[in-house]
This record gives sequence, C-alpha cells and structure tokens, in this order.
Amino acid sequence: MKVKIRQWNGVASWLWVANDENCGICRMPFNGCCPDCKVPGDDCPLVWGQCSHCFHMHCILKWLNSQQVQQQCPMCRQEWKFKE
Amino acid sequence: MEETVMESDCVEMSGPGTQQEVADAWEAVTTALVSPGCSGSEQSLSNSLALLCSQGLGRLLGAWLLESLQTRLSYSVVPEFWAGLKQPENELEEKDRALVLLTTFRTLLECLEPFLGGLEKLGTWQDEGRGGLCGPGPRGLQDRAFTTIRALLLFSPSPVLQERVLEFYSRTFTVYMNQEGGDEDGAEAPEGPEGGSCPGCEVPTPQCWCQEALGHLQELSHILSRLQLLEWVSSEAVTSILHKLIEQRMEQHCRGEYERSFLLEFQEWLELVLGWLSKVFASEADRDGPVPAAPSGPGVQTGPAASSVLKQWRCHMHQFFCRIYVNMRIEELFSIIRDFPESKAAIEDLKFCLERTNQRQQLLTSLKSAFESRLLHPGVHTSDILTVYISAIKALRELDPSMVILQVACQPIRKYLRTREDTVRQIVAGLTGDAEGCTDLASELSRGDPVTLEMQDSDEEGNDPEDWTPDPTDAVPDKMGSKRRSSDIISLLVSIYGSKDIFIDEYRAVLADRLLHQLNYNTAREIRNVELLKLRFGESHMHYCEVMLKDMADSRRINSNIREEESRLSEDEQPPLSLSAIILSSEFWPPLKEEKLELPPVVCQAMEAYTHRYEKLKAMRTLSWKPHLGSVTLDVELEDRTLTHLTVSPIHAAIILHFQDKSCWTLEELSLKLGAPKELLHRKLALWQQHGVLREEAGGRYYVVETGSSKEKLERGVMLIDSDEERDSNTTTQSEQREEKLQLFWAYIQAMLTNLDSMTLDRIHSMLRMFVATGPVVTEMDVNELEAFLQKKVREHQLMVSAGVYRLPKSN
Repeated sequence: MKVKIRQWNGVASWLWVANDENCGICRMPFNGCCPDCKVPGDDCPLVWGQCSHCFHMHCILKWLNSQQVQQQCPMCRQEWKFKE
Repeated sequence: MEETVMESDCVEMSGPGTQQEVADAWEAVTTALVSPGCSGSEQSLSNSLALLCSQGLGRLLGAWLLESLQTRLSYSVVPEFWAGLKQPENELEEKDRALVLLTTFRTLLECLEPFLGGLEKLGTWQDEGRGGLCGPGPRGLQDRAFTTIRALLLFSPSPVLQERVLEFYSRTFTVYMNQEGGDEDGAEAPEGPEGGSCPGCEVPTPQCWCQEALGHLQELSHILSRLQLLEWVSSEAVTSILHKLIEQRMEQHCRGEYERSFLLEFQEWLELVLGWLSKVFASEADRDGPVPAAPSGPGVQTGPAASSVLKQWRCHMHQFFCRIYVNMRIEELFSIIRDFPESKAAIEDLKFCLERTNQRQQLLTSLKSAFESRLLHPGVHTSDILTVYISAIKALRELDPSMVILQVACQPIRKYLRTREDTVRQIVAGLTGDAEGCTDLASELSRGDPVTLEMQDSDEEGNDPEDWTPDPTDAVPDKMGSKRRSSDIISLLVSIYGSKDIFIDEYRAVLADRLLHQLNYNTAREIRNVELLKLRFGESHMHYCEVMLKDMADSRRINSNIREEESRLSEDEQPPLSLSAIILSSEFWPPLKEEKLELPPVVCQAMEAYTHRYEKLKAMRTLSWKPHLGSVTLDVELEDRTLTHLTVSPIHAAIILHFQDKSCWTLEELSLKLGAPKELLHRKLALWQQHGVLREEAGGRYYVVETGSSKEKLERGVMLIDSDEERDSNTTTQSEQREEKLQLFWAYIQAMLTNLDSMTLDRIHSMLRMFVATGPVVTEMDVNELEAFLQKKVREHQLMVSAGVYRLPKSN
C-alpha cells in the first residue's frame, strides 16, 4: 500500500517568543494586543529592551513619553534602551 | 276588585226603574263589542252607551272585556291550543306537522279575534269620546290584552311548540335559501337515491311543497304578529337556527382553510339569510295595519318597524358570526400559526372578528395550552420549536400589533427553550443559514433596516404623546413596558437568554468550526455574516470574530509567501509534503479542544520547516501546532485499486501513514506510536475499514486489505461499523464553557462560606446575584444549575451539605 499526501492543511497558533505571558504595563497577554489596538500581531508588536524585558510597543512608548527626566524600564528601573 | 265594588255601589244608588234599562243598554253595548257581525243601529248603540256612561258604568266596559278575555283564555282557548298542538302524535309527515302548527295558531287567532276587535272598537269609541266615554284608547287596551294572552298562553309552554316552530323555520329556511341562493348550496343538498328529490323540502319532486311552505310561513308570521307573539315564539327558534347554520356553513367552508378570507363571502351569505328573516318578521311592519294579506316577496317589507327589527337581527347575526368564527379559529390557531405566511388571510379575518368579540383571554389560554401540548415536549426537535416560534412571532404580530398576545402566549415557549441545551446552537445555525429548513432567520438577518439590539434604551422616540394607547388589559405588567415589547424576530430570540453574549460566544464557536474545516481560505460568506451580525449586535461584540477572519486572510498570505520561497528551492530540496496552515491568534479564538497526537516524522519535519520559515518571516514569533486539527487530502494506492482525493482528518491520515510502513498493527502499538487513546483510535480506524482499506482480525489486529474482491465488498456493505459520523466539533462545547464560568463563582462561594459559616442554596444564589451582578452569567444561572454545581463540589469533597445547608469542610 502506498499513501500519497496531496495536501496537508494544518492548524497552528502563533505566539511571541517572550519570557513572560502578559505585558507588564497593560497586563494583557502578549499574544493579544494592547488596549488601544484591535488586532494583535503585526499591528501591535512587542519590543525588547536591553534589560531583556519586553512590552507591547504601544505600551512602552506611552510610558516613555510620560517620563520627564530619565527613561527607565518600568520593571527594573534600568535605563531603557531598545534591543537591536 | 275595586271596580267590582264600585259597580255594586252604582247599582245601589240608581233607582229600580232605571235598572232594567241599564241592564239592556249593557247587553246591547257588550254584544256590539264582542260580535262585530250583529249590531243594532248606530243610534240605539249610542243611546245605550250614553246611558251607561251617565250611570258611571262606561269605564267598566274595558275591564269587563279584558276579564272575559281572560276567562275565555284560561278555560277554553289555551287548553285547546296546547291540545291541538300535541294531538297528532309523531306519525305525521313533516308537511302535516307544519300544517297542524299553522292550524293551531289559526284557531287561536279565530278565538281571540272577537275580543281583539271589541277592544279596538272600544278604544276607538274612547278616542272619539263617544257618549262621554274616556279611557286609554285602543293601544293601551290592546297592550293589556296582549300581555294577558302572552301570560296565559306561554305560562307553561310545552316543548312541542318550540320543536315544531324550529322544524318549520328550518324547513322554510332551506326552501328559501334554495330558491334565493340558486345553486350555491345545491351541491350540499342530499341527493336521494330516487334522484328526483327537491333540494328545498327534501321530498320527491312531485310532492314538493316548497311554495306551500313559504305561504305557510307568511301566514304564520302574520298571525303571530297580529297576536304580538312573534318575538316570543320565534326568537328562540330563529336564534338557534342561525347559530346552527352559521356553524354548519363554517365547518363546511372554513375549517382547515386558511389561505383565503371568508369575511366577504359570509357577508354576502348573511345578507341572503336576512332575506329569509325579513319573511319571518315580515308582518312586524304592518302590525298596526289591518291588512290581512301580507305582501309577498322580499324587498317589499320596508316599513320602519320591520327595518328596525331586521337591523337588530343583522347585528345579532354578525355577532353570531364573529363569535363562531373566532371560536373555530382559536381552536385551529396552532395550525394557522404553523402555516403562517400562507394562512395570512385567516389571521386577518380572525383579527377583524376578535376585535368585535371579547375573546382574547380565551384565545390566550387555548393557544398557550396548544403550545404546551403540541410543541413543548421532548419529542419535538429544537429547530422545529424555533420554526414554530418564528411563525408565531410573525403571525401574532399581524394579529395583535400591540404584541401583548405574542408576549403572553409565547412565554411558555421561551421558558421551555431556555431548558434545551441546543437552543443557542440552533439559533446561531439559523442565523448563519446552516440550519436545514429554517431559512427565516438568515433572511431576517439580511433584511434591510435592522433593529439594533442596543436601541432599546432610547426612551422617548419623539412619539407624539397624543398617540399613546394604553396596553390591553391582559398585558403582563413588567418594567419593560410596551415600548420594549419588540416584534423583531432576532431580538426576541436573542432575548430568550437575556443576554447576547452567550449568542456571540456560540457564534464564535460556530465560526471557528467552519473556518477550521475549510480547505481554501474562502471566507466571503463568513465575512458577510459577521458584517450583518455587527449591525445587530454592535461592532465591539463582533471584534473577536473579525480578528478570526483576519487570521484567515493573513494565513493565506503567509502561505503563499512560504510557497513562493519553497518554489525557489532546488529540485531535491523540495519538501516532501505540501503543507499549508491556518495560523490563529490564540487569544481571539474560542478555546480549542486539546488532543494528543504524534504525527509521523514526515509530517513533523514539514511542520518544523514551515515553522522555521514563519519565524524568518515574522521576527520573534513562532508557531505552536495543533496536530489534531486541520484536514488532509490523500490518495491510497492498493494493489488492485486506488482511492483518490480522500479528505480525512489528521488522525486518520496519521493512522494510514503508519500502515504504509507495516501492514499489520495492533491497537496497542498504534496507540503507543500516535500517543492517542485506544478508544479514540478504534473509532477512527472504522473509517478505513469502511473504505475497505483495513480489516480487523481477532486480537485487535488490523491488516491492510491489498486485494479487495467484490464478495468482500458486499460483506463490508452489510458490516455495521460504528464510525464517528458526526463531525466532531473542534471547540469545547457550550456546557463545558458554562462549567468554566461557574467555576468563576467558586471563589465567591468559598469566601462567603468562610465568613458566614453556612448558607442555604437560595441564599447563595441571591448573594451571587447581588455581588456579581455585572456579568451576564449570573442572570442566566438558575438555582437548579447552581445546585448541580454545588452538588458536584460536594462529591469532590470541597463542600459539605447537611439539611439543605452548605458549609466548607472543617479540615482547612
């Protein structure tokens, strides 16, 4: 007997490769989106800091904009630098 | 009495000389009164009259006349009348019975005629003031006389009279309708075996007495009206005849006929009947006139009295008609509703008649019990209940624009649907047009100008206060008020559960199912449905569904990207398997069933490669495969035959791929290899057995059937294999989801019991309602459900119950 597979339609879910489940700022799941967004994924990406903490991009930008003096990671209070 | 005393007084006062004269004068006058034929000269009569009056006896004449009428009646006329009526026993023909009836009344009239004449004459004298006579005039005297006649004659009426009159009237009615109505009713006239039977009087044609009957009718009517007995003798008979005939006609013509209106038809027929009535009550018109021969033919009797009587009867008839019609339709209402769009005419008729009779309550009660006995029992499929409910909404909003009947009568349906598990699924299926035979909802959904489910908050819709009408009295008093008594089918269905979230969740599950079972990424229909639902449920509620649809579009793009990349590879680097994927945003999809399944290495490799390419495409993201979901198209090549283009589930494919390497597997081996439970595999193997690719042998071994002979095929056809025909849903079921939601409350319940030590079921329920009032879940959760949940906790030893009181176990 020989089985020839013409087409395999699989199902998968995507997820961010992050070390946490939820965004530390908005507490929403990373795989969802920030409160301002409707659609997850490309439209609401994650960003990583050099301190290796990550957030929804929209969330951390909002946070950084609100910081007057020094821009710090909200989790570890180190200076915030985007990871290249 | 008083008058008698006075008479003796007068006699005493007058001298003996005049006594003889007075007696003679009395004799002359009374004779002249009672026997109109033999009268002396006018002159002597006037003299006598003057003498009597001068003696004060004139006023006694009326009293005497009435007295003698009464005596005559009670001693001879009345007994004779009844004896005459009863005398011929049943042997007589109908025709002869009619004649007897007539003769009896004739005799009655003959006996009473002298008195009536006398009274009239006396009355005339009184009016003229002849010989100083004064009194109430003919009308007053006659009224008293007729009262006496009625009282004595009908004091103890025998049923024979009613029977005879009824029979006679029925006959003349048939005759009349037969003549006037032409052949309209001809078809219903019983055709005797002799063939030549008259449709009117139902006797062989040569002996037809139709004309005679009508003549009799005329005479009888005249006699009765002369004696002012018409109303007393005929009304009952006429009423019952009309009642019976309308009922009969309705049974014949309208029962089970819902598709056309009968109002006009009956109107015409009733007019015809009115013609007959005008014959029965013909002589009412000439009650005052002494014309003995009543005019013949309809339309001639247009006297004011007659027309007022007829008008009255016309009203009566309409009332009868409406009532009978409503009664019949109430009985049939369930069927009418079931056939609704076709039975619109019947509904409109019913509406018209119902407005004229006070039978709403009856209708409600009967419809409610019809629903309960015919619809709301376990033998009826949920989709059928919904179909009837939808028709009921449509039909009853025609019937009663205030929606009160709808609201009250359908309450049991709504209550019952709430107890059915698959109600939501059926409604959603109907909305998406998946339900077979139930297209109403889908078309209702796509109807223009949808009613948004939110709109019900607006209180004053700018309605003119003058247009306000109070609710009918049978409305259910509720805080919703008439404003919110919606007639929109979808809002009514959705409101069965009190919240739309449950529907949206269900729709999400259905949508997930449909999307996952799709081979191509074609979502046009789903997009349309979601757009339509968005108009109903509001944008925010459908957000998740939109993301799901977007996932489909994204998946397609990613797939073609990856395909393109693959196509650039060299020949031998080409992947061994054509794999495409639906990539979900897990947060937005309903929880998917988790099943363990180890796919064959070739598939795993393909998936890894795919993941790899995806990671390259989307930085910092990866894929988590759900191996048991999706679909596979494959060909199976056997020695003597090939099965092509089979579309199966991944687990089926995995099974058959393993058989490629080894033609015999036991269930244990397969289970180990695939990481799936044996029971599941056993069920899945059945598919391949049905296709004749595998065969099971003793010891739970499965073999590949390389050469299938036709004989075996025949056997296979007979072999019953319990394959899992029903398409497994990929999403968790509704009840599982509810369970999860109830689990939310567990923390609340625990906290309450910690603080309050022990609580009854009702207490817990009401506390939950109070504290967790925000979500839709509590409002839907009834006590029974909560009890079941608590019982489960008791079984799991997380809770204790004694004497109806719940408490936490002491140990912790």
